[in-house]
Amino acid sequence: MARDGSLLAYVLARMALAIPMLLILLTAVFIVLRVLPGDPILALWGGHTPPQPAIDAARQQLGLDQPIPVQYVTYLRNIFTGNFGLSIGETYRGQSVWTQISTRFPATLEIAIGGMAVASLVGIPLGVLGGSNRDKPIDLAVRMFGTIIWVIPIFWLGLVLQLVFGVWLQWLPANGRWTGADTPCSVPSSCAVRTGMYTVDSLIEGNLGHFVNAVAHLILPSVTLGLVLSGFFAKTVRANMLRTVSADFTEAARARGVPRRAIVYRHAFKNALVPVVTVLGLQFAILFAGAVLTEKTFSIEGIGILLLNSVTSKDMTMIQGVVVFYATIIVIISLVIDVIGAMIDPRIRL
Amino acid sequence: MPPARASAGRSRLLIVAVVILVIALIAVSAYALIPKQTAKLPIELWYNNSNHYGSTEVAVALALQNSIASCGKVQVTLKSDVWTAYKTRWTQQQMPMFLLGWYPDYFDTDDYISPFLAISGAKSEGSFYNNSQVDQWVRDEASTSDPAIRADRFAKIQAALVEDVPYIPLWSGAAQVAYVNGVQNVELHPVSYKWFIVNKPGATQLNASTSDHIIDLDPASAYDFMSIEVINQVFDTLLVYDAKNTTLLPGLATRVPTVANGDVSADGKSYTFHLRQGVTFSDGTQFNSSVMKRSIDRTMRLDLAGSAAFLLYDVGALRADHLAGNSATGVIDTPDPYNITFHLFSPVSFFNQLMAFSVSAPVPWNYNPSGKQPSTVGSVIGTGPYVLTTHTLDSLVVLDKNPTYYKPNLYAVDGISSVPVMNRVVINIRSSDAALKQDIETKTVDVAFRTISPVDLADLQARQSSLGITVKLGSSPQIRFLVFNVNLIPDKRVRQAIAYSVDRGAINSLVFLGQATPLYSMVPSDLPFASPVFQGRYGDAQCASANALLSQAGYAIELQRELVAVARDR
Repeated sequence: MARDGSLLAYVLARMALAIPMLLILLTAVFIVLRVLPGDPILALWGGHTPPQPAIDAARQQLGLDQPIPVQYVTYLRNIFTGNFGLSIGETYRGQSVWTQISTRFPATLEIAIGGMAVASLVGIPLGVLGGSNRDKPIDLAVRMFGTIIWVIPIFWLGLVLQLVFGVWLQWLPANGRWTGADTPCSVPSSCAVRTGMYTVDSLIEGNLGHFVNAVAHLILPSVTLGLVLSGFFAKTVRANMLRTVSADFTEAARARGVPRRAIVYRHAFKNALVPVVTVLGLQFAILFAGAVLTEKTFSIEGIGILLLNSVTSKDMTMIQGVVVFYATIIVIISLVIDVIGAMIDPRIRL
Repeated sequence: MPPARASAGRSRLLIVAVVILVIALIAVSAYALIPKQTAKLPIELWYNNSNHYGSTEVAVALALQNSIASCGKVQVTLKSDVWTAYKTRWTQQQMPMFLLGWYPDYFDTDDYISPFLAISGAKSEGSFYNNSQVDQWVRDEASTSDPAIRADRFAKIQAALVEDVPYIPLWSGAAQVAYVNGVQNVELHPVSYKWFIVNKPGATQLNASTSDHIIDLDPASAYDFMSIEVINQVFDTLLVYDAKNTTLLPGLATRVPTVANGDVSADGKSYTFHLRQGVTFSDGTQFNSSVMKRSIDRTMRLDLAGSAAFLLYDVGALRADHLAGNSATGVIDTPDPYNITFHLFSPVSFFNQLMAFSVSAPVPWNYNPSGKQPSTVGSVIGTGPYVLTTHTLDSLVVLDKNPTYYKPNLYAVDGISSVPVMNRVVINIRSSDAALKQDIETKTVDVAFRTISPVDLADLQARQSSLGITVKLGSSPQIRFLVFNVNLIPDKRVRQAIAYSVDRGAINSLVFLGQATPLYSMVPSDLPFASPVFQGRYGDAQCASANALLSQAGYAIELQRELVAVARDR
């Protein structure tokens, strides 16, 4: 009970610390966006320019005619009351920031999960193999794989996979998230809950054809992202395995006659996993901000493309909204990582 | 001083003298041997680097830099910025020479002239060209429908353009579409691509993809290509364009107003439209003159940021001032449910074209009166051939046949017996042009429309037969040009010299693989009154003429100082 209580206090303290962190972040973003050159309002009309009164009216409509301190207070008030506002950039002009984020996040989440799954399935076993066979040919192969795959440009790998499996062999769809007009749960009555993740929604509506359609579109981006990340995963796991394989407790186990397989998987691997989970979790969080190159290559409209387009059009409200969203996700995932770490390694709970 | 020490001192002095002499000799030799740089005119050429004009922009800038610099007397420095900063820069007069593009709002010669050469337009477009005589000619052509007067004024304006060179027209873009063999009625219309006439025999659904994105489907707000494309399938306007050309046909109006039929007043300030009866929106509500007036007033009153509302109240002269709100009493007159008259504050010869633009599309009475209407299914309601049935942001649009469409025989004269032809059109929105190519290569879609890169397009063209597809190119109303800020480059001889040195052929062959059309006036050749004035006067890559202008009386050196001074001031 006491241990649970201390963990809860730790979680609460971390959450409390997140508020000033968020405030500093929001302030920095607010200042940077106003210091950067370029007037997003002028750019709203593309190459055309309306009469000055129309420009002034637009500035007024979007609250940009107010003094900067007033804009700042309004901005903070809106953010902390859940009002993310409307886009003021050329690309998403007038669209709800929250609608854009909430519509795109499921797409990003799907490829992030898919990518992490592939990366874990490929990278972790390779890392264990390499770490438990130090300096043997298999270790050398793992190290080479980890280095080469990690430095391959992700868009290049994506294009190659698209070309081979999407265009030449035509086994898998090369682009987008869906083929056809009837996306999962497009008929509201067919689903009790709609997540926006096509794989999940198709399962909710119990439509196997839809599920296959959604998964087929997910394979190439997930493999692309996952393969590149697997290099990093393999190297991280290998490094930690090396540390735990030669640690005192494994030596002791070995002296007691515990079989090698049990030493590697039950003792060394489990202990090696603690720092790995932290690193992998943060990598997962970074993917939530959008694997922009993967999204662009496979025409998946996720958070990455949203952020990219918002930055290039100096869409202040959209950038601010995405940053807040992203920061919140990071805080949540950091907490989850800590909890998982505590579950894997009992010492953390002491 | 002892003799030995004195001798050592002299020796040191001698060594130092020899070293100095050797260094001096080396310096003099180097000065004589190193080639001297001749004074060149330094000019910055700016381009946008955030894909506002597609992925070819840097290649265009490089080709231009090369063609200008290769004449030998101008040193071109490339500079770039993202669109937001780019537009701010030209407004704040920070760019002496920059690349720009134009897509017309209404298909009239005026829309290629007044935004550039009228004093207010030139300021907006960043040239700051200020010629009161030209300004008067622009007002003349805009206020008369007399072809003789318009021809005279447009000829004079284009003559001034070629003499003063505030802009150098470069090329007009190519409209493009690739489709699977067997698909019919794929028309690259100069103004609007009509999905509702495309036919895929034996199928009820047409699958398509594009890399253009939809921003807003409220006619009061939309002002980008793809939003207007979808609006043109779901909504309707008083006048519509022919299926294949820019001839105006009656849409929701029963005839096209002209002075001859009495629907346009002799002074060109009143336009009367007789409305079709029995037309309903897809939600079942009635269309009539009150709805039409309310729609126009709504657009002007909201004046949404980034919208085309100014085309109605400013360009269309429906308001005498720029005060917010509806039109003034009596400006839009609705004597009965099926007649509507617009009383303009000044004659606008292209008002019919404005009434064919999406900003003039009527919306149902219950559309949001205080803000924009959501672009979601069930909220986008028009009288057009299709109804929006699915809209996934930036991913997917599905259009289904509007069972109550009022004029299925709209294009019977063009051999299309009934529109919309297909029951359903599915448009996939892609993030990249490479995805479009893959879509049509794998026949994932029947039609890939805008924008395939020139390299991919050439590749598809070369493999049309083996892939079983057709690649079609047509003329696009978009023009591309160089802008000179005449305040930063005030001597027109410099601008003329650069006009001589520009090589449109090189840009077209190197960047667009021959798919673009060289442009020699701001008015594209398929518009009335167009005259290729730059071709006759400057041609292409005429370095001798360019250098002759720049060499006059050591002019380049003077200008260099002047530009340096300008740069220092800033």
